[in-house]
Amino acid sequence: MTKAMSKHTSTQPVSVRPVLSLHVAASLGLLVTVLAVGCGPTPAASFRTNMVMAAKQRLTTDQERQVATIVEAMFGTPDEPVALPETGLDEAKLLLAAGPVRSDIVGRKNGLYREHCVHCHGITGDGLGPTAAFLNPYPRDYRPGVFKFKSTERADKPTHADLKRILHNGIVGTSMPSFALLGDAQVDALVEYVKYLSMRGETEIKLMQAYFELDDDAQGKLPETREFLVDEVLAGVAEKWKSAADAAIPVPEMPADIDLAASIAKGKELFHGDKANCVKCHGVTALGDGQANDYDDWNKAIVDFGREIAGSREQAAKTSTAEMSPDELAEHKATLAWLEKSRQVLDGDSLRPRTIPPRNLRQAVYRGGRRPLDLYYRIHAGIHGAPMPAAKGTIPPEEIWHIVNYIRSLPYEFDGELGADRSMVASGR
Amino acid sequence: MRLAASSVAFVAVASVGCGKPRVATPGPDRQASTAIRDKLVTASTGGGEAAAVVSTGSGWGALKGRFVFVGAVPADRPLVVDKDTEVCTKGGKKLLDRSLRVDPSTKGLADVVVFARKTSRVKDASPPSEPVVFDQKECEFLSQVLAARVGRPIAVKNSDPIGHNTNIAGTAFNQIIEVGKTVSYVPTGEMGMPQSVTCNIHPWMKAYMIFRKDGYVAVSGGDGSFTIPDLPAGETIEFQAWHPRSMAANQVLGLDVPSVKWNAKGRFQVKIDPDGTMDLGTIEVPAALLGG
Repeated sequence: MTKAMSKHTSTQPVSVRPVLSLHVAASLGLLVTVLAVGCGPTPAASFRTNMVMAAKQRLTTDQERQVATIVEAMFGTPDEPVALPETGLDEAKLLLAAGPVRSDIVGRKNGLYREHCVHCHGITGDGLGPTAAFLNPYPRDYRPGVFKFKSTERADKPTHADLKRILHNGIVGTSMPSFALLGDAQVDALVEYVKYLSMRGETEIKLMQAYFELDDDAQGKLPETREFLVDEVLAGVAEKWKSAADAAIPVPEMPADIDLAASIAKGKELFHGDKANCVKCHGVTALGDGQANDYDDWNKAIVDFGREIAGSREQAAKTSTAEMSPDELAEHKATLAWLEKSRQVLDGDSLRPRTIPPRNLRQAVYRGGRRPLDLYYRIHAGIHGAPMPAAKGTIPPEEIWHIVNYIRSLPYEFDGELGADRSMVASGR
Repeated sequence: MRLAASSVAFVAVASVGCGKPRVATPGPDRQASTAIRDKLVTASTGGGEAAAVVSTGSGWGALKGRFVFVGAVPADRPLVVDKDTEVCTKGGKKLLDRSLRVDPSTKGLADVVVFARKTSRVKDASPPSEPVVFDQKECEFLSQVLAARVGRPIAVKNSDPIGHNTNIAGTAFNQIIEVGKTVSYVPTGEMGMPQSVTCNIHPWMKAYMIFRKDGYVAVSGGDGSFTIPDLPAGETIEFQAWHPRSMAANQVLGLDVPSVKWNAKGRFQVKIDPDGTMDLGTIEVPAALLGG
């Protein structure tokens, strides 16, 4: 073999080969360099600035740096998280969840977030992990501090137990798996870390929005005082998490002697009636086909920003620079630079917006949990971040129970009349 | 050829290998962040509270003015109505985007919000208790922009024969509003800027609301005029102007009115005489600012 090869080599025209192989070697070398260096050696993990919000608020590079600096002062880094006492967070739990995956001296697994969560939810908790784009629905972006499935009122935070339940059960109908195989202490640590990322993200958003509120004499710089950063910004964010346990939705028990058939019939009437109006989105058939063109808050924010950029671009295109003063010209150029940066930011820092379909109620798949109590919470408070409105105030508790009973009967309902109802959907829209 | 092929491979790896290209972000300044953290973990020294406006006068006065639109008024954009058409587009009615309302004869610009950023004093200690009505009919909100004082009840009404829901961004409120019924909402927090109000059942419906603690907020009417009464006299008050169609960041209305130092952030400053009325006169809003 060796002989044959050497023979073969020796027959090659000597004048061409060395040149070619030099080229090939050089470019292969480059390729190898890129493969080896391009994606590593891994730099210390760092949080990514909320670039969509920064672009939306039209922050300067200096302002972006100031926010990154302040947020790091308040929350530390992915490897070394910091929890100021005002957050009410348990730093010991955070340390178990943060940092690279490793075992500590007693063999306990550390770095749980990066082991279990980061590939979808991202190191920053922005829902932009490497797998995020392939999932439907997209993973939750914790930064706005909005959570859907909880036992508290619409605008309140979930309780610690609510988040633990989600980690324990997963979210059926989505890519969120159950982490029931992890020990209680580990789930506990992860929940604490999710709260940490959420507080961090919300604080960052509030800081970015605060630039606009500055007086002119602040010269575009946020005050780096404890009074502003902790008492004004952080305390407001943390307080909502601390008070979550007190914001539980009061649920009167379903009457024990309830006539189920009658309750389902009443629920059906409410579902299709003008008062509860479930039918408008979930459809006459309850297949979730009544509404197809609305977004949840996360996607809507991207859609709205995209529209803002499109409008500004249209405006810039029809603006003539011929008669502009130097000041106006500079401003025009700044707008164009902002437009270009915003385009790049939307491209790299957001996922393509998707509409949110109302739940198909005939599948017995309920993301927030299938207990009657879970359905009660969803109807009473609506779903924060989603279009689902609250029935509270309009529908009394016993009627909410009727709707719950009707919804729970839907997957088992004889669907012979569905065909007829389907044509009603078509004519009703 | 081989060189070209391997160059392509190189480019492909360089551009795809590490995921989508993302805008570079300025990293934190480590030294500065450590210094800030030291300040944050030490006990509060007090006294560093945000500078409150110092009261420098007595009595009360008003601010008024009238916004006019300068330029060609763009045609109203039609909205896509794909649901409940028997009510929403009754008798072939077309629903239009009403976010730019200009009076055809006087060119008065409606729906400009003007509010005081900070004041030292407030004339009425408590907000009015009678509710302000926010109604919807034929799948349109009847108020394009509603301003109210924090604590004043908002009567969210549904005058349609079909159900709606009213979703006020930035608040806890997103509730179903039964046919012919009214749901009361008492705003508890102040808004820095007007927030959108939508109906998720009919996503084309859009309006805005703003709640301010001191109640010093007005929305220009159909003729473009606005008045904010009972402002504290004798102190320099900074106001903020906003319009739903503004192309600027946060939809602020940056105008060129040197007499009151109107700036690009849509803010201007006035000092009001006791029992006087500061009249800004006619304030011109160029079409280009509103995407016209």
